[in-house]
Amino acid sequence: MIRIVTLDAIDPGDMAFLTATLYRAFGLGTEFAGEKHAPREAETKDGRLDAVKLLKEADPVRTFADDKVLYLTAAPLALQPGPLGEPPCWGFADYGKERAVVSTARFPARGVTETSIENWRRRLARETSHAIGHLWDLHHCYDAKCAMHPSWSQSLPANPEMDLCSFCREKSERKIRLAKT
Amino acid sequence: MRGPPPRHPDDQREELPAVEGIIADAAEMSPGDRVVYPNQGVCAVVGVEEKDIAGQKLVLVRMRREEDGATVMVPKNKVPSVGLRRVASGEQMEGVFHYLAAQFDDPELDWKVRHRDNADRLIAGGVLGVAEVVKGLHSLSRLRPLPTKEREQYDNARHLLVHEVAVSLGVPPGLAEDYVDFALMPPAGVKFDLKPPPKPVLLPSRPKKRRPVAEEGEADDLGLGELGIDLGEIDAAIAGAAGVPGVEGVEAVAGDGAEPEAEGVEGEKAEEAEAEAPDADEDLPAALPRREKPARAAKPEKAPRKAPAEKPAREPKKAEKPARPEKPARKPAPAKKPAPARKAAPAAKKAAAKPAAKRGGKKK
Repeated sequence: MIRIVTLDAIDPGDMAFLTATLYRAFGLGTEFAGEKHAPREAETKDGRLDAVKLLKEADPVRTFADDKVLYLTAAPLALQPGPLGEPPCWGFADYGKERAVVSTARFPARGVTETSIENWRRRLARETSHAIGHLWDLHHCYDAKCAMHPSWSQSLPANPEMDLCSFCREKSERKIRLAKT
Repeated sequence: MRGPPPRHPDDQREELPAVEGIIADAAEMSPGDRVVYPNQGVCAVVGVEEKDIAGQKLVLVRMRREEDGATVMVPKNKVPSVGLRRVASGEQMEGVFHYLAAQFDDPELDWKVRHRDNADRLIAGGVLGVAEVVKGLHSLSRLRPLPTKEREQYDNARHLLVHEVAVSLGVPPGLAEDYVDFALMPPAGVKFDLKPPPKPVLLPSRPKKRRPVAEEGEADDLGLGELGIDLGEIDAAIAGAAGVPGVEGVEAVAGDGAEPEAEGVEGEKAEEAEAEAPDADEDLPAALPRREKPARAAKPEKAPRKAPAEKPAREPKKAEKPARPEKPARKPAPAKKPAPARKAAPAAKKAAAKPAAKRGGKKK
């Protein structure tokens, strides 16, 4: 089961689109598990949220074995800088574990037209599929059409696909099949 | 930057420097240490224990794989040979990132060589070897999608690299993967101030696979003489018709096979090339006089040699063969069968009755 927790308000239509997409992508039940507040410990000096701390400190949600919890926030996320600097952060997941967070701060403007809203929803679906994929042990994929392709890649089109490539899909299905429950 | 260099020739094998951090003796390990087991990932040393296996008392080093808690046990005396090494240091890891971020324009295009080299790098190349595999396959994936085997190899290598980076830098694996891909696929407008990357891993060369050299007599004896085929005559006829010596034809085949073009055909051709090319080069001088030998001249020598070996094999066949004449005996049987015989044993001779019925049908 995938449980979605929002840290900021989200349109019910967007949530319905998101749950349906995640169900199709992973074949797992997806539900909206309510709204919580972002933990203060995760706030950084520049007003962003530290993604790693956020996942550690976020309020717990009632889950069962193999449940995945996805936090959605509109605040920008920060990551600890690596040897070559800080990678841009669209979301972060505890690889192979339970929790992931996705930020909508870097998305193109949602707008008011049907096309712009549709594009925004598809981008949201892509980033959440990406984060949930990490929770099911998927690594980044070199295929730019796959949802597991890094979100900052130059080869990513303006409106990227929200589906997994066949390799990632098979791998995630295998992992889900072998899960405890 | 160019890709990893070719393997070392045999004569330099012993001069290769050992991979940094390799554990040469089990005494260097103590409980709680983190080591990297090639192709398995980061393991924590639990301790040394003695076990009785198949009547032998073995001293084993017990390790626990950090990723899933699986137990890995290595005989203490084999620790130097399995390639266990310490987790990469921060300095090594920095070199790895500078290597990943550097330009790479020369992926190995022969899939067979590439796959073999990558497998070796994963085992014996240390953390830089794993990074080389990831980078090499990643740059190849920009040219064309990877075949299934290499896609899996790429995923495995990435898995090993991400976990080692995570352990070495003390960050979660998800963040380590972002670091790796930030270096591999930098976002638009980002340029790194790169240091010269570390020297690529040098791998020991593998021993060449050589076909067992057949004895001269065995190689010649194809049994053509018994079939009445004379190789000498055929060679002469071909040479007369085409005006090209047969040996050149052999070279041309090896040359074609050595440069495969398409990925699909590559495998077969490469195999042929690997199998044939050394033979063509090495055995050619020996093959030439063999061909020139008239087959008839060799025949009388071989005949007595073969005879004792074949006779015992054929004799039992001959003994079996007399069974065949029984078959024709069956055919007349249904014809001879009188009608009352069917009545006496109808169940047992149903099978025999069928041919008779067929025959009747044919006649009609």
